[in-house]
Amino acid sequence: MTLRVLDPTNEARTVGGQPAARPASLRGKTVGFISNGKEGTKGYFAHLERLLRTELGVANVAWCTKSNYSAPADAHIVDEIKHWHAVVAGVGD
Amino acid sequence: MQLSLKPALLAKIYEVEDFAAAQELYHSKGWTDGLPVVPPTEAAVAACLEWAGMPPDQLIGIEPVRAQPISAEKLAINAVMAGCLPMHFPVVVAAWQGMMQEEFLLHGVTASTGGCAIFVILNGPIRREIGANPTFNALGNSDRATAVIGRALRLALINLMDVRPGGIDRSTLGHPGKFSYCVAEDEEDTTWEPLSVVRGIPSGASAVTVMAAMAPRQIMNEWTREPKEILETFAAEMRANQRHYSIHGGNYAIVIAKQLRDHIEAAGWTKRDIAEFIYERARVRRSEWADVGKGAVVRDRGESVYTALAGPDHLLVVAAGGPAGGFGAVVPPWLGDKTKAVTVAIGACVDCAPGKG
Repeated sequence: MTLRVLDPTNEARTVGGQPAARPASLRGKTVGFISNGKEGTKGYFAHLERLLRTELGVANVAWCTKSNYSAPADAHIVDEIKHWHAVVAGVGD
Repeated sequence: MQLSLKPALLAKIYEVEDFAAAQELYHSKGWTDGLPVVPPTEAAVAACLEWAGMPPDQLIGIEPVRAQPISAEKLAINAVMAGCLPMHFPVVVAAWQGMMQEEFLLHGVTASTGGCAIFVILNGPIRREIGANPTFNALGNSDRATAVIGRALRLALINLMDVRPGGIDRSTLGHPGKFSYCVAEDEEDTTWEPLSVVRGIPSGASAVTVMAAMAPRQIMNEWTREPKEILETFAAEMRANQRHYSIHGGNYAIVIAKQLRDHIEAAGWTKRDIAEFIYERARVRRSEWADVGKGAVVRDRGESVYTALAGPDHLLVVAAGGPAGGFGAVVPPWLGDKTKAVTVAIGACVDCAPGKG
């Protein structure tokens, strides 16, 4: 017997933000780091900053740390992003 | 021509040959928790909506971080898949209303590597109406109602919020409560106030409490009738959790089964007395981290004291469990106070409450 069954997914889901245009080069640019504040991020981002500056010629690196590592970035951090050419964010344990 | 007064369902329809084909469709699309599901037919879903008095497009809420709308129809589809009958559906709705309150931090709770589950506690007349069993095996497969309600929350997270392992769900380990984690309080066999009443819901109303929780840690103390000694065992388990898992205070639940409950009640202790005692006893010094291999993060704050609870009100005391055995359970929070337990009256409009803008 044929069954008619329903789609359980969120067909009304809202579309998230679109990625910004990729810069052709990071030379002379400002890169922002959004750390979730966990212990392991310090060494990771410090190493990444060295690589960005020495190998890719990044001029400035801005560090921001979320007040709650399980919640979205604070409004003042989101506001800061418009001053950057690229941003690195994500999980760090 | 006969006109139907029921509003049409909006979800996309799939036609499959039979029950087995339905299973393969849902598994192949990643729409299950790995177990077989009840095929959500139009009739079954419509019956849930009718029972709750909701049109298909009724907005149950919007998840605050990713702004995803949750409709009654989509929630009903997932509830049917979990095995819910129409009478279970209002509980699922209320639980989701609670989960979408900002203080619950649903996104963090479901995305975290910590791997918690949604612990659900039922109170009020609805427990009996739906046949929930608050006694034997209360935290396990105690009955149909709690099994399917807990499962419905997980399936809806998977399908409505993309909380799939490796997707939004980044859990390192997770725990078995992620299949279903629902308990009914044994209100008939205790002198204590129901949890929902302790948390401000009028007596006699049905309610659901949701809490982002780790796996239960079972305790045993069959060798005393003294409330302080019994509760010291619970407090010790909470201290162990602070040392081994997270030192930070948050909502803990303790489930006290009949045998231990009888001793505590006979001595005249209320839930408030229990909470105040536990608050005082469940605390550790940061230096204790050094005893369990975490000396690197003690630093110069070794003498700082961390309470498992920010205050006595943060303890959820639940009467449940079978009649014999000196057992209880500590249900720890996902991670300190980053998430708060939420209690919602079933059938109430959460966002209509005074003070909600």
